[in-house]
This record gives sequence, C-alpha cells and structure tokens, in this order.
Amino acid sequence: MTGLVPMHRALAAAAIILAVFAGTPAARAEEAPAPVPRFSEEARQAGIDHTYSGPWEYFVGGGTAIFDCDGDRRPDLFLAGGEGRAALYRNTSPAGGRLSFEPVDTGLPGRLLEQVTGAYPLDIDNDGLMDLALLRVGENQLLRGTGECRFEPANRRFSFNGGRSWTTGFAAVFEKDLAFPTLAFGNYVDRSAPGSPWGTCDDNALHRPRAGETPDYSESFALTPGYCSLSLLFTDWNRSGEPALRVSNDRHYYRGGEEQLWALPPGRPPRPYRRSDGWRHLKIWGMGIATTDLDGDGLPEYALTSMGDTKLQTIDQEGDDLLPVYRDIAFDKGVTAHRPYIGEDMRPSTGWHAEFQDVNNDTLQDLFIAKGNVEAMPDFAAFDPDNLLIQQWDGRFAEQGARAGIALDRRGRGAGLADFNMDGLLDLVVVNRSAPVSLFRNLGRDDGSERPKPLGNWIAIALSQDGANRNAVGAKLSIRVGARSLTRDIGIGGGHASGQAGFVHVGLGVAERAVIRVRWPDGDWSHGYRVFANQFVLIDRGEENARYWYPPREAAD
Amino acid sequence: MPCWKTAAIPLLAVLALGDPARAADSPPWSEKVLGTPLDLEAVARLPMQERIAVLRDHGERLFIGKFLVEEGAGRPMATQAIIPTKRRRPVHLRFQRLAGLDASSCSSCHHEPVVGGGASFTANVFVSEGFESADFDTIDPQFSNERGSPALQGAGLIELLAREMTAELQSRRDTALAQARQKGTTVTAELETKGVSFGTITAHPDGGLDLSRIDGIDADLVLRPFSQKGVFGSLRQFTVNALNHHHGIQPVERFGALWTGTTDFDEDGIADEIGAADVTALVVWQATLAAPTRKPNLPADWQQAATRGEALFADTGCASCHIPALPLKSAVFRDPGPRETAGTLREADVEAALEIDLAELDFVKALPRDADGNILVPLFGDLKRHKIADAQEPTLGNELLGQRFVDRDVFLTAELWGAGSTAPYGHRADLTSLDEVIRAHAGEARTSRKAYEALSDEDREAIIAFLRSLEIVQ
Repeated sequence: MTGLVPMHRALAAAAIILAVFAGTPAARAEEAPAPVPRFSEEARQAGIDHTYSGPWEYFVGGGTAIFDCDGDRRPDLFLAGGEGRAALYRNTSPAGGRLSFEPVDTGLPGRLLEQVTGAYPLDIDNDGLMDLALLRVGENQLLRGTGECRFEPANRRFSFNGGRSWTTGFAAVFEKDLAFPTLAFGNYVDRSAPGSPWGTCDDNALHRPRAGETPDYSESFALTPGYCSLSLLFTDWNRSGEPALRVSNDRHYYRGGEEQLWALPPGRPPRPYRRSDGWRHLKIWGMGIATTDLDGDGLPEYALTSMGDTKLQTIDQEGDDLLPVYRDIAFDKGVTAHRPYIGEDMRPSTGWHAEFQDVNNDTLQDLFIAKGNVEAMPDFAAFDPDNLLIQQWDGRFAEQGARAGIALDRRGRGAGLADFNMDGLLDLVVVNRSAPVSLFRNLGRDDGSERPKPLGNWIAIALSQDGANRNAVGAKLSIRVGARSLTRDIGIGGGHASGQAGFVHVGLGVAERAVIRVRWPDGDWSHGYRVFANQFVLIDRGEENARYWYPPREAAD
Repeated sequence: MPCWKTAAIPLLAVLALGDPARAADSPPWSEKVLGTPLDLEAVARLPMQERIAVLRDHGERLFIGKFLVEEGAGRPMATQAIIPTKRRRPVHLRFQRLAGLDASSCSSCHHEPVVGGGASFTANVFVSEGFESADFDTIDPQFSNERGSPALQGAGLIELLAREMTAELQSRRDTALAQARQKGTTVTAELETKGVSFGTITAHPDGGLDLSRIDGIDADLVLRPFSQKGVFGSLRQFTVNALNHHHGIQPVERFGALWTGTTDFDEDGIADEIGAADVTALVVWQATLAAPTRKPNLPADWQQAATRGEALFADTGCASCHIPALPLKSAVFRDPGPRETAGTLREADVEAALEIDLAELDFVKALPRDADGNILVPLFGDLKRHKIADAQEPTLGNELLGQRFVDRDVFLTAELWGAGSTAPYGHRADLTSLDEVIRAHAGEARTSRKAYEALSDEDREAIIAFLRSLEIVQ
C-alpha cells in the first residue's frame, strides 16, 4: 500500500474490523506469564547509522539481509537504502557483549547499491560463500560472494536477466534434482503501463536454473497474473515434499486480484491454484508472510501482515483430502494486531515484516511484526509501534512490545531477529522508513528490576552438506525436548524484503538436553543428534556426531 | 519470582523450633511440613555459623517432613519427568512404586545408617524419563531403570569438586579455541583436571570443536557428579527433580508460571508448591552433611588388615578410578551454583548467591590439606563415568536403555568413602556384599577386577577390611 490517495474502501474495511475487535480484552499481566525479554536500542552505539528513504517507490521495501559474510559465523548485516545506498556492516560483537558493527566495502560499484528495496542471502553457486539477491527498483542483481564480505556482480555470470521491474519480494528453493536454486522475484506496480498505478500490477518472475555446471538462469517464467506482490515464500503446504510458492499481494493497486499460491511441478511450468483446487479468494493489503507450524500437525501456519488486521491462517482440513483451504485464527490466537497497542492513536495499523521466532526461549514461537504508516496516510495510525506478540502456554499470544522496549515512534518495514552477540538471545534489527535503523539488544527477562534475568535454555543449529545446496535450504529440523517436538524449516523468502541465513535459533525452555533430527532437502531423515542446551551446534550431513561451535569471546579473539 | 525476598519471620522463632518436622508457623500438633519459607536475605546477613545452623535446621525439617496433599503432595496431572510434562489422563493411584509418587519424604529413602544416607533395595526408585511412558506398569528395564538410593553425606564437597573441575575443563576448552583462532590451525588439548583425564578435544580455527575423543563427561564439558549415572550437575538440580518425581511437590523455579504458564501445573489445586528459599534450605542441608570418614578405634587386627588392604586396593588398580582424594581449592558453596540452566535457579536469577563456607564445619576442618592449602577430599572416586559392564559380565549394566545420553553400561564411579555403611551395593542395590560388587566390575574395570580375583583369600579379605573401615558417621 503505497498510495496517498483517499482510501474509502480501506477505511470502511478497517472500521468493520475495529468494530469486531472492539470488545477484545487486553491481556492482563497475570494472564500472560510467559517471560518478556527486555530490548535495548543501541544502533548508534553499535556503529550502525543507516536510513532507508526515498520517494514513492520506496514507501515499500526497506529490507535487511542477515548472514555471515566473512566466515566467522557471526551474523552480519546488509541494509537496503532505497534512494540512498545500501550498506553492509560486519559484526564485531564479542560473545555476550555489547553489539558492535563496522561498515565494510563490498567492492561493488556504488550504482548497484542504489535503488535497493531489499536483499536475501543464499549460496547460489554452491561455493560455500554466501551470495546475495538484491531487490531493486530497476534491474535486480545477483551478487556473488567472494569472501571477506566482498561481492561481485553476477548477473552476466549466472545468465540472469535482472529486468527493470519494481521488485519487492523474493524467495528461493532448491527443487528436486536441480543443482542450483530456483529464484522467485515478486514485483509491484508496473509504472510504465498505461493507467499506472491502478490495476497495473507487474508479473512476478520465476527463474529455474538450467542444467549445467554453473548457475544459468537464462530461462524464466512470468508468473501471470501478478497482483502487486510484496512478499513471496516457498512452502511445502501439504507435506508433499514439493514446494509451492505463496504470494502475498497488495489489494491497493490490483483489480480482481487475490492472494496466490503457485504449484511448481518438477520440470513443468508453474501454475496457480484455483478455486477448483480448493484455493479461496482472499483480498488483503498483503505486506509480509511468516510461517511456522504452530500446532505441531506438520502443516504450516501463515501470518500475513496487512493494513488493519494481521491474518493467521491454518489449514482447514475436512475429510481425507488435503486442500489449500485456510481458516483465519488470528482473532482466536490474539495476533490481529489491528491497531496500536499504546498511545492515543486508535486508527488501524499498517503491518510489514512478520517473523516467527522464540524470543524468550520458552519453546513457544512468538511473532514479531514491523509496523508503520506508509508515509502519511491520514486514515491509518501515525504512531504505529512494532509488535512483539509473545505466545502463551494456552496457544494465545499477548502483546508485549511496550514492555519489551521496542515501541518506538518509527515506521518499520523490513526486519530480522538474530543473535548478533551470540549469547543465546535473539536480538532485533528493524529497517525504518526515513528514520535510522533500529538495532535492539536482547538483555534477558524483564522482571521489573533494574537487571534483567536470564531467559530459557536454547540451541542454535547450522546445517551443511556437500555438493549442491550446501546450507540445506528446504531442510526441516525436528528438535525433541521431553515429550515435545519443536520444528523449524530452513527457507529463504518471506518477511518484508528481508531474509537471513545462518544459525537457526531454538528455545528449549527448561530442557537441558535435546535430540535433533534433520530432514534433509532431499527428504532423507538423519539419525538423532544428541546435544546439550545453550550450545551452537554444527551438523554436517553424514557425520555421526554434531560439533559444537563457540563464538569469539573478545573482539580481537 | 525467584527472589530471596519472602515474608520475613523472626529468626529466633526458627531456631526455637521444637518438632523438627513441623512447619515453623504451624501449631505444635500440625502435620504440615511447608510453612513460611526462610527470609534468605536476612539469613545471608547472619554470621556464617549461625547462617548454617538456621538453614540446616530448616532444611532438615523439609528433608524429613512427610508432605501432605493439602500442601501439594501428589501430581495428578503431571508426570515424574524433569521437564514439566502432562499426564495423558488423571492418575489412578496417588502413590505408585514405578512412576511415583513413591515417597512421602526425602528421608524415607535416604536414611541408612542415618538420615541423609542411602537405603536398601526396598527403597529403590525407577528412573524412567517419564516423558512418554508415565503410566507404565512393568519393571521391565526397557521402560524403567531401577536404582538404589545413594547416601548424600559429603555431597557438598562433591559438588564443589565438580564445579572446580568443570571450570578448569571449560577454561582449557576456551584456551584451545582462542589458540586455534589465533594460530589458524587446529589445536588439540588434554582435558585433565585434578589428575583425572577426560580425553581430548580438538579446536578448529573457525571456532568448531571436535568432541569425538572426550571420555567420561558430557559434550558441554559440565561434570555432573550426582545420580549413579552421573547425569545431574548439582544438588539443587537434583532436589528440584526429586521433589516433583518422588513427592509431587513442584518447585516454582521449574514448574511455576514462568515456564509452564500456570501456578498449578500438576492440577492438584495447590499453587506454587515450593519456592526457591525452601529449595535452598534443602540444598544447604544436604551440602553440609558430614562427609564419611574412617572408622575410629579399629581393633588391631582390623586396622592391620585395613592398612594392608588399602595398599592392595591401589596395587590392583582400583584406586585409578576410586582415587583416594581430590584436592579442593575453595570450600565456599554458593547457591545457586554457577552452572545451572533454566528450570533450576541460576546465579543471575538472584541479586546475590547465598554463600556457605563449608570450611567452617568441623568435618571439613578435620580434613588434611596439601602443600598448596587445598582440602583433600577423601571421596575414593574420580567423578567420571566409565563403562563398567561388558558382554561377559553384564551385571552392572543391567539395563536395556541409556539414561540422558549415557549408555546403558556406563556409570559414574561410585564414591567409596562410605562403603562400610552403604550395603547393599550396585546401581540396583542388589549386590549383597563388597566382594560381590567388586567381582561384578567389567568393562574398563575388568583388569582391576581380574587382579582382585587373582589375590589370595587373605588379600581379598584385607581389601574388604579396608573398605569396611570407610563409614558414614553416626
């Protein structure tokens, strides 16, 4: 949603939503006993001074890529700049200490770092070095990592046509028997089409690699129709082992559009799921997608951010046939997040990046949503703080953004939760529109006293395998603690213009031990790896035992 | 939550208690065990001797007290598992020897030859993990491993030794990692502490650690000196486990709202059954139990045999694992301890840990010190796990399942410092004599057992005489 035009229909819809939710009681503290982390915003002290800004094209986007660019396994930060230049920051934080970053020279021509809306990290050419997919207003760029946080343009090398669209979404997956990843780019408004911007959504693009020794993306499919996508996600929605592409679209500009799901039959062109397949029409101001398996049934749930209320979809299975029919359980679970939770501004919220993570290490997945007015839309909240929805043991979520200290007066866009100082607590980076990037350090459990207390136990897991798909994109982790299995899917995509690669964080609560099983991307399950809590764990495919990894204790270590 | 702040009670009232098993704020005839917990902030301000006395008094009352249903005994909808786990259906019987409850009080299983000691086979417990098969109704060891109740005397010194050894091992790990990063090459380090080797580790320049050659310790290099399997790291962790398992008294620090979302996880109608301060009192009581010693005033023939037996004990190689004494640098017992993880109160959960200086206790004062001033703790153990059974002699590996990542035939070296008082022997308390348990040694102990068996009858008797001279003070 990027318009500054009056939005009568949007307002009407939002008003209905508010009326429905007006009676929703705010969760009382005693009903939300799950630990609440306390965050401290310290971007400037950490050495990060960066802003995403620009005209209309940059009302959307504003992403970050979180990945290790220098081989020390600490998560580094690539930040989109919009009209300004994107920037890469190397993480120099000592383990458990203050956050610390330093800007690094990527070696790229400056022009390639301009007009960037977002970025996703992945190893495209299987050389063990992280590459970057750069989303831009104009030609998208595949950047090949050469080590030490340096990159080289690789569109020509990979026979990739970056196009000239206004790109705002990305997802990648390794399809069966393909040596290199399939890339999907989500495009927004086609500004050159007659009548733009109304009803002139650009097609999305799917790039499958051709057979060969090196990545070759000379063929691509136009995913037509496109409905002004702002987020894409590959997902195994039906446990078939075959990924499908979920696309969230902004209803503000499309005509006759809807949310989309594309099937990707191996070796055949993608095709959209239709009503006859069970797919139901849903129109939202789709801004970001997050997924996790909340109910442990092996089928993912999806959080879809929008203007007004966030959706939380679970599959609505009736009978034996598994159809892509979804039911919205956001209200039941308390994650509608439809208006600001503090302040006097009761107008509807505008949601962007969404991400499920366990921020308090209690084993329950929590939900972060970046919030912020598109620019100055009068019908939507101007003060619209980001959400931190902490899951409780009854399955409902409780808003704790204010208590956690993340409720800043900034217009959030892309974001990411990652353990930047390797202390077992997820920190938070938020890219804000026309305001400095926020970098929050997770200090521990807020108990009202001056000094935060520790949170639950945790492990962080990094997978690797030889050959193609070295970082096991598409793998599933099953972590057994006591009688429960916690799951994580390793994917590239979703959120809002933001992605990450590296350690997968898992809260273990009070468990001191866990057994990890890996379903590798080809479907093979590993044996159980026995690990102790509060460790970084490296699992190399085929190895009998997991290895532990320890971060540098001091910056100079 | 876990803050030492509680409703203060006059300390003098605590000290003036009559019935040691009665709650402090209850009438003299009360059956209640749990009452107002100690104000540990006030206790921490007391002089050390007085501090210990107050905590021991309170802890002993909790240890011997028989918990009541109305104060939380029972866990109708919770299993015995160390991770809060719901039963699938309400329990049919409150007490049940297998999945528990199996005891009203701690002392019902820890009482021979004195309270805090071990027990015979009659007080065995079953250590099913309790995650999946909470309702098992068989003693088939594929579902549940059966264990004798060990004596707790000297446990405070054991934990302190383990803490120091863990710190040293982890320091060696950190040094190896730093060197590997600095040099850009792999660095292999010996994991040795207090003369006990736990194998080697190899650090890689990228911070990865190869743990494939560690020996007798967990991969996180935390030495866990409690339980016959060596899988519990501290008295506090074990106490929290046991209160739930054996009594259905659920400690807040693990089963409370913070980690379960409810104050009544076991659904018995009693909220927040036992708080951190009471657990501390229990821990301190156990930690301050006098260590076993040598039987005084032995008859001359016993003394002569024991002296010779001790030499033979070493000659046969028994003392390579049952090490006569390990040096302890500091006798200051801090609670919570430095290595706890979530679910057991951690140092960082409280403003300041409570300090108990065991050196103030007479039994510690009586222990010898080495030239460096270290206290020589005469445990006759190495706090290390070993393979103690094999296919030829499986007696001490009498189980089908491992426990908490430890193989079925691997157990912690038993500390022998109370051996004369702790018959019957073996993990299942089913070996009736010292000779029988020695002859059951296999695996890594096969050579020593063979050496023992090769001795003359008289020499074997001398070893028994020596071991029988190690006893728990009564």
